[in-house]
Amino acid sequence: MIGAYLIVFLQSHWQGPRLWLGFQPDLTPALLVCAGLTLGAGQVSTAAMLTGLWLDSLSANPLGLSVLPLFIAGWAVFSFRELILREELVAQFYLGTAAGAAVPLLQVWLLQLVGSNPLLGWQMGVWCLVNALLCGVAVPVFYRLAKLLDRWFSHPPHDPNRWPNENRQIVRGKN
Amino acid sequence: MLLTVFLLLVMPESVRARLKSAIGGLFLPAIGISTTSHAALQSLGQLGVSEPDPFPTNQALGQETKLRPTVHELQLDNARLAEENKRLREALEWEQRIPWETKLVRVVGRDSFNWWRRIKINLGTNKEVRLNQPVISVRGELVGRISEVGPLTSWVLLVGDPNCRFSALLKESRSQGGIVSPRQYSADPRVVELTYLPNDVEVRPGQAVVTSGLGGGFPKEIPVGLVVDSWISKDGLYTEARVKLHANLNQLETVRVLTKF
Repeated sequence: MIGAYLIVFLQSHWQGPRLWLGFQPDLTPALLVCAGLTLGAGQVSTAAMLTGLWLDSLSANPLGLSVLPLFIAGWAVFSFRELILREELVAQFYLGTAAGAAVPLLQVWLLQLVGSNPLLGWQMGVWCLVNALLCGVAVPVFYRLAKLLDRWFSHPPHDPNRWPNENRQIVRGKN
Repeated sequence: MLLTVFLLLVMPESVRARLKSAIGGLFLPAIGISTTSHAALQSLGQLGVSEPDPFPTNQALGQETKLRPTVHELQLDNARLAEENKRLREALEWEQRIPWETKLVRVVGRDSFNWWRRIKINLGTNKEVRLNQPVISVRGELVGRISEVGPLTSWVLLVGDPNCRFSALLKESRSQGGIVSPRQYSADPRVVELTYLPNDVEVRPGQAVVTSGLGGGFPKEIPVGLVVDSWISKDGLYTEARVKLHANLNQLETVRVLTKF
């Protein structure tokens, strides 16, 4: 959630990428793919809901419009994650690229469905392509970051055969 | 999930705007932290610049000739300062000359999506910012108008956004037309279109475009941009032109809101 908050905030308030690339990348699809790979169903839904609402609150999109595309991306990955080689870098890259391309297209489709008139054109297609590749690169980074944070902040699973600290174990016996 | 999205999309516009403003308000602490840390970093940078030593040692005096700037460097510095002085003087004169009351505001954010052109400013209803007030750059070029007002921040719809259309005229011939967003998305946000110009008007590249004041949205004679090229519309009924805006919309840091015009 903190990651989603930070990404949405940076997308709106950090102008660096816009000045260097000419457009603002949207890495929220990558975040939802990562959530789909690592989190549970409820957490994926909450992540999609909050990220979508935050994104729309900082844009001219109708409120709630981004929730559905992000939810579809996260839920699709979550549903098929047992069939995906999710630890593989290539698989993560492909998933991120696909989500990075599909989510903006779904958002534009929904915008036109609700009667909004966004600024579109072939240059937007180029942006969509570059953004998809950026999302592809971002998924492995987010995935590793999530694993690292999980290792730092969560309690290790109980293993009855493993003593917590080998040095403290008193081994009794004749030797 | 689907029900929530459906309810959000069908709820009345006023309720949705209030909810949007409330959710957007969650980012105010982050904006505050970002602004404060930026200011702190700037002041730290200034701390790093030390005053020249009033009692230089012999060794330092020996090296002084190497450190002394050349005449060419001083000339460049002088030219830069003269240019800056001229620009500031022009801005000050312009401010004294205009009949409107303005408020200088800082740009704190932009629309997250590339298909909209909006910026967020750091004043809202707390400083009497109202809906549809015109926004101009520090040098007086048209930037857009206020489209959403929150308690502490507001959104400005930039010229070139599909929802920002207004009447403009060619300064030389006084022919009226309408400024609309470009037909296709362009990475350069400074290009817009001037349409519905009469066919009998000569439209040349370099002609100045200003606001016409029609409709009351913007005051008359605010500079908009310069004509790049023109063509007759497909149906042959009117002339259209591409206009390059004076204001660089990608690099706005401070803008002025016209509070009384």
